[in-house]
Amino acid sequence: MSEIVLVKIKRRENPQSAPYWETFELPNKPFANVISVLQDIQRNPVNIGGVRVKPVVWDCNCLEEVCGSCTMVINGRVRQACAALIDSLEKPVTLEPMSKFPAVRDLQVDRSRMFRDLQQAHAWIDIDGTHDIGEGPVIDQDTRHKAYELSQCMTCGCCLESCPQYTLDNNFLGPAVFSQARYFNMHPTGAMHKDKRLEPLIKEGGIANCGNAQNCAAVCPKHIPLTESIAEIGRQTTFYLLKKLFTE
Amino acid sequence: MKTLSKSEIQFLLLKLHSLTGIIPIGLFLVFHLGFNSLRTVGVQQYQFGIDLINNMPFLLWIEVLCIHIPILFHSFMGFYVAYQGKYNAFRYAYARNWMYTLQRITGGVVFLFLIYHVGTTLFPKMMEGKHLYEASPFLIGIMNEQMATWSGRLIYLVGILSATFHFANGLWGFCISWGLLIGKDAQRNAGIAFMFMGLILTLWGVATMAAFALDPVSVEPVFSGGTFL
Repeated sequence: MSEIVLVKIKRRENPQSAPYWETFELPNKPFANVISVLQDIQRNPVNIGGVRVKPVVWDCNCLEEVCGSCTMVINGRVRQACAALIDSLEKPVTLEPMSKFPAVRDLQVDRSRMFRDLQQAHAWIDIDGTHDIGEGPVIDQDTRHKAYELSQCMTCGCCLESCPQYTLDNNFLGPAVFSQARYFNMHPTGAMHKDKRLEPLIKEGGIANCGNAQNCAAVCPKHIPLTESIAEIGRQTTFYLLKKLFTE
Repeated sequence: MKTLSKSEIQFLLLKLHSLTGIIPIGLFLVFHLGFNSLRTVGVQQYQFGIDLINNMPFLLWIEVLCIHIPILFHSFMGFYVAYQGKYNAFRYAYARNWMYTLQRITGGVVFLFLIYHVGTTLFPKMMEGKHLYEASPFLIGIMNEQMATWSGRLIYLVGILSATFHFANGLWGFCISWGLLIGKDAQRNAGIAFMFMGLILTLWGVATMAAFALDPVSVEPVFSGGTFL
């Protein structure tokens, strides 16, 4: 274990200003992770040149890799900062904000597009309204296992950051949304609104924009079978499209 | 009937892009390489094959509607798709990500190759009015010339390799986009199987090239007459 750690951070004052790199030198502590290093910088925000600077801004919440808010690009690869142990990283450690979401400040980005896109795809199961829709049917064990895998999505954005088809200025919905549409379509009560979820997927930015680079499944911290979800949504939209084109 | 919105049209065009890559373009590629491989059996057999095609009724219409227009559409949409990608194969250096990148590169290479290929075969054939039985001696002469030089061989090798890879990998993407291949293992296995198919197509093409290069024989028209439509 080396005595000191060099951390290079890509910083930015505000959404409009140009990014710049700033390096910090810190004593290495046992079991430190990227978040604890950022906390150390916050306590003593002095850069490698000895200049006292504004503390680095970042997002985090759960600190156990289930909320997705501390997602950033660490040594060129998108992942959660809380689960990135300093000892296992190459030095110097470089930290960048995700590039596929609007920048806010330093390592903080605005991921609200993901949540808007989930809304578009009706990514929930409707509950009773003014009327009782009754008890849901029993779900078999295999379907439940599959559904559990898909349910682990934390909307962190890793899949979108690594996706070559997802950019700041297009309207591609991306693998997370497709997988959630599949997840809710799998549920017997959710399946009652299947078409409602598929409809936005057969529009601009929908499933046809996927290029099958399959980075999404490779970088997903929850190992969600996103490429299977994409193919399954491909199948569902194919049938939905044929139905729309030839039977309606 | 409900009119389609711009957003729905974009989706349908992308779907059509995926479909035209297989039907008719992929099918055409297989037939084209297969028919031309008759040259490996002998120049007479090859001439027979070419004569058969060039005496087809409505040949020009079939070519324009089933080959030229789909290829132009597929190319146009392909450039549009390729232009929108934000390539990151060096950063996320996964095999699949490289295939994604290569799919776009080979698409561009095939497009350039086709300009050369059509410009040196079909175009002079149409310009000089070499139809029916006159087409095969004319085209065989051109291929003998092109396969006599290393530059010509290299151009064709790159063109064939790009086309077969683009088709093999594109077939894989098509099967996923349309929901024919779902499971992770199914996707991997099919990917390997399609690459073998691509390899066989490549060997088919290279064998034809070798036949032209090693044994450049000129032929005369078998018959004369008939009418070209």
